[in-house]
Amino acid sequence: MEELMEILEDISPDVDFENETALMDDKILSSFDVLSIVSELRANYGIRITPAEIIPDNFNSAEAIWNMICRLKEG
Amino acid sequence: MSLISNAFILFVVAAVCCYYLAPMKIRWVVLLAFSYVYYLAGGVRYLFFILYSTIVVYLFGLAIDHLQKKNASLKTQKRVITIGIVASFLMLGIVKYLGFFTDLLNTVFDTKIPGMTVLFPLGISFYTFQSVGYLLDVYWKKAEAEKNFFRFALFISFFPQLVQGPIGNYNRLAPQLITPHKFSSEAICRGLMRIIWGYAKKMIIADWAGVFVDAIWGDPDRYNGIVLFGLIFYGIQLYADFSGGIDVVIGIGNLFGIRMDENFRQPYLATSMADFWKRWHITLGEWMMNYVFYPITLSGWMTRFSGWSRKVFGKKTGRVVPIALADFIVFFLVGIWHGASWKYVVYGLVNGGIIAFSELMGNRYRSLRKTLHITGKETWFHIFQIVRTYIIVNLRWFYDRSDTVAEGNYLVKQAFSHFDCSQLFDIAAGRGGTAFVPTALLIITVGCIVMVAVGILKERGTDLYQKITALPVPLTVATYMILLLLIGTFGSTAVLKGFIYAQF
Repeated sequence: MEELMEILEDISPDVDFENETALMDDKILSSFDVLSIVSELRANYGIRITPAEIIPDNFNSAEAIWNMICRLKEG
Repeated sequence: MSLISNAFILFVVAAVCCYYLAPMKIRWVVLLAFSYVYYLAGGVRYLFFILYSTIVVYLFGLAIDHLQKKNASLKTQKRVITIGIVASFLMLGIVKYLGFFTDLLNTVFDTKIPGMTVLFPLGISFYTFQSVGYLLDVYWKKAEAEKNFFRFALFISFFPQLVQGPIGNYNRLAPQLITPHKFSSEAICRGLMRIIWGYAKKMIIADWAGVFVDAIWGDPDRYNGIVLFGLIFYGIQLYADFSGGIDVVIGIGNLFGIRMDENFRQPYLATSMADFWKRWHITLGEWMMNYVFYPITLSGWMTRFSGWSRKVFGKKTGRVVPIALADFIVFFLVGIWHGASWKYVVYGLVNGGIIAFSELMGNRYRSLRKTLHITGKETWFHIFQIVRTYIIVNLRWFYDRSDTVAEGNYLVKQAFSHFDCSQLFDIAAGRGGTAFVPTALLIITVGCIVMVAVGILKERGTDLYQKITALPVPLTVATYMILLLLIGTFGSTAVLKGFIYAQF
């Protein structure tokens, strides 16, 4: 989780990833940010994220992103 | 049936009455019936196109759902969705791009294939995009396939959105269409206010600005001293026309208790081109993002390109290059969505180029701001960003309004080499002729001031409808009446035009 927070803060330093829970719903993350995150997750965790995964449930908070990583790594 | 006609207003009144008089269970059937009557009023021959889209997408939706339930291989599912998408776009491709490709073939191979003109069915771009979005949502398991053909037909044909969108998202729109809505005076009043405001924008501001735009573009040699005015007027006309039409459409949705997706969010207050595209034609932008941008950037070949890019350009730039490339492709598609013409290809590439470039330069831009001690929160900087974006957006309108790229280039040259404001007063302003020009300019100016004030209030989160209804009743009624009076007085003397985006 710590590594994930570093990745997220590197991509969008102005976003409060500790507390925000509607990153995608409230459009705090742009599509550019989302894809930058996906690119980093692919490089760091070796997971493949498909368009079907790009939903608010998976990107609304740092925790949601972490849960998605764990699920895709298991799969 | 034009959105600006007594017949249309009577049609909406009849639809609303029938909807609320019908038993709750069949209210959605009333909407479907009125939607098809509206479509048929445009011409029986157009019926084939909407039925084709509805049947094809409905069947492919069921097929994908069936394959998923049977746990069919991903390869088979992919094959079916690909055929479904191609079949969905086939009709749009034929009616919109056949002439363009015939011209292209004739130019490249020096052939003489006769040009074909195919009738352009009402709303085909909008319902094709909407239906393909549904198909992909089913494929990605973001939506359940609709089993009831008639309910699905309503999602595709809901009449207010047929002329110029917004492009509805299945999960947000379809349940609202099917759910019976109880009569709500609040929803009716809110809808009426939105409709009146939309007509005011269209008939008072857009159509008057359009009088000047048409004159200047119609004879740029004669009006070469006021091309810049023409450009500003065109920016005003386009926004007031398109967003005014969308206000009418969303307002009609409100009359049935339906909240359709917003298509505009004060676009001329955008601070960057990327921000502008999040505020202008939002539903097309979201469609492109969900169904083109994400699939391209997450595809296998782009993943491989991304790996190569990281190796060559390093972590940060390497991460951005594939996204910038995808942006470029998306805007190229947005360009050709607007029309089968080279000017739209250039228009899309310029937009894509600007956004891709700004993303590639993002890190350097942030460093420069840091060096100059600009935090980005300063008011002056915010205003600077808005003005800069407004100028870039308006410069692109040269090519949007011109028939060809060459004409656009010519007008750019004229705009910055000649200035002669007196030419404005040579333009015949509707039925009032040249004598009416000062009044027409006053109408546009006051209209724009009101539009900007409303925009700023909305940007700050003010619900203007609530503010107006919180006033004493006579004042609320007076606001409605004043707007109607203004439309009646100034809207009726303008040269009324159809909605610009209805042609797309």
